[in-house]
Amino acid sequence: MATTDWTHQRLEQLRQTRVWRSIFRRGPARTNRTRSLAVFGNFALHTLPVKVREKSLSVRATYYLGSISFFLFVVLTITGVLLMFYYHPAVPDAYRDMKDLIYVVSNGVFLRNLHRLAAHAMVVAVFWHMFHVFYRGGYKPPHEFNWVIGVGLLMVTLFLSYTGYLLPWDQLAFWAITVGTNIISYVPVLGRPIRFLLLGGHIIGQNALLRFYVLHCVILPLAAVGLIGMHFWRIQKDGGITVRDDHE
Amino acid sequence: MNMPAEPKAPEKQEEKNPVSRRDFLNEIAGGALTIAGLGAAVVTVKYASPNVLFEPPTTFRAGSPDDYPVNSVTYLQDQQVYVVRTDRGMWAMSAVCTHLGCITQWKPDSSQIACPCHGSKFQRTGGVEAGPAPRPLPHFSLVLGEDGTLVVDKLEVVMETEILKV
Amino acid sequence: MSEKNTFEVGLSSDAVKHPRRIVFITRKTSAKVKEEVGPQLMSFPHVILRETIAFQFLAIVLVVLALFWDAPLEQLANPLLTPNPAKAPWYFLGLQELLHYFPPLVAGVLLPTLVVLALVVIPYFDINIEGEPLWGHRSSRRMKIYLGVFAVLFVLLALYDAWTVLVPTVLVGVFGLVPYFLPTSESRFLKFLGSQPLPWWVMTWFIAVALTLTAVGTFFRGPGWSWVWPWS
Repeated sequence: MATTDWTHQRLEQLRQTRVWRSIFRRGPARTNRTRSLAVFGNFALHTLPVKVREKSLSVRATYYLGSISFFLFVVLTITGVLLMFYYHPAVPDAYRDMKDLIYVVSNGVFLRNLHRLAAHAMVVAVFWHMFHVFYRGGYKPPHEFNWVIGVGLLMVTLFLSYTGYLLPWDQLAFWAITVGTNIISYVPVLGRPIRFLLLGGHIIGQNALLRFYVLHCVILPLAAVGLIGMHFWRIQKDGGITVRDDHE
Repeated sequence: MNMPAEPKAPEKQEEKNPVSRRDFLNEIAGGALTIAGLGAAVVTVKYASPNVLFEPPTTFRAGSPDDYPVNSVTYLQDQQVYVVRTDRGMWAMSAVCTHLGCITQWKPDSSQIACPCHGSKFQRTGGVEAGPAPRPLPHFSLVLGEDGTLVVDKLEVVMETEILKV
Repeated sequence: MSEKNTFEVGLSSDAVKHPRRIVFITRKTSAKVKEEVGPQLMSFPHVILRETIAFQFLAIVLVVLALFWDAPLEQLANPLLTPNPAKAPWYFLGLQELLHYFPPLVAGVLLPTLVVLALVVIPYFDINIEGEPLWGHRSSRRMKIYLGVFAVLFVLLALYDAWTVLVPTVLVGVFGLVPYFLPTSESRFLKFLGSQPLPWWVMTWFIAVALTLTAVGTFFRGPGWSWVWPWS
């Protein structure tokens, strides 16, 4: 007990310091006023509403699928950045790097497993989230546009997963991407030019690997972050998530 | 009192110039931004399309005709090309499925060329026998070089009826 | 200062004496004005706490699975040798199954584009805001359209031998008819079916087809995209 009291006192002292008060411009979140300030005065939390309906917090209302999709994106960002330390987007180094991750790098196999697992889980979570929102009527006014942003996020998720699929440069990757990019060439008129731009050539080789790498690690994650921000912000601006009477 | 005359003057001017200075400048600025945006897009697409590609050559030598027995289908793995020889003559044919680009395989048991991806099946002549393939396998130009070796050009697609008599 | 109480401010609770009109709810407007706000909670700490718990739960599951389940890595990519069967990532296997039946322009380009467009326009085309059940009016015109669409789909799918699409379509199509013929059934399941509007049926059909195709493509397709049993 004595040690906890001591810790509490030190924490309280820390909260009184000028530095702390310059970061969190409010007292401890003990009253509704300071709790409101805690949410909308904080950059990381400001996309949340200050208050939510009690019903919307029940597990059956959402199964937390949207939050889970976002958490998976966070996990993927962290593991992905770490994997980039050991990955060269080149033929055939990319494949050797995979072997290194598995056999040489400390905890490399764990990070790769985690990244792959979270990627599949995110596709499942995003689809499930969409179907759940549909069946709960969450797309109805005033949430129309947020539903459209959600469809955009689904596309970005699929494209992220697909571009990541090529990066190990193994047989699985190569032929999945071969089939996928040949489908694009069936698009009338624009198909072949689009495929050429995407692959940076006529065959899946060094250029294609580099382009998929840049799409996977830079362009698509940026697009995802932008859309996720809009998606969260709109939930608040559209008056919170849809709740139905049977959400108990 | 000249007061009533004064408000009239700007009205007249407006009739002369139906586009106000503000609208004019707005449109100029909007147009300039659109053109700059389009230009940037075009330049970026241009930049992203490589001009020089390091892709394998499309013409190759395929040995002498004697290497291919009559009534055989030979798969040249490095080039993804079949060389077929029958009693009528020889032809070279792509081994890349016309459906979605998988590499087909010759099945001697059923005398068929089968694609592993979506189950398309082709005849020896390249014609589609079953499955979703939309076109027959293309035939490539096959000529006998001066030194007596076969030369295949994968860029030159020829009619199915063009057969090299040996 | 007794003048202060000569008039009343506020709302009367007697609706007969002082009628008030709040809003009209016509058939085409959203009924959201009726929405009850209900009790509210502060986001801090209630939402933050629950999300943290969800995140911790997810992290534990992910880490345990990642420890015991290795991500696959096959041979080095070889452009000259197609593995048999060559499969796309699992979420595209439904598409690959479609590509087996239909021409690439239809299965690879047209259908995915239509699906995405349909998803985008859902909130703008759903004018049935009251959620009126499909057979709410027992309209015979609606029945004719339903049977017509069903027949066209059936013939098209049968023509292409696309029976992995046909089976879920027929199943959902038949279930959609049940509430029409048994409108007074006491069964909870049938009551549930009978209360569903048209968009619910379309989405359920889509999910049924997508799940069947993905499952077939993942587990039941072998060399040359032929049918195999996963346990053999």
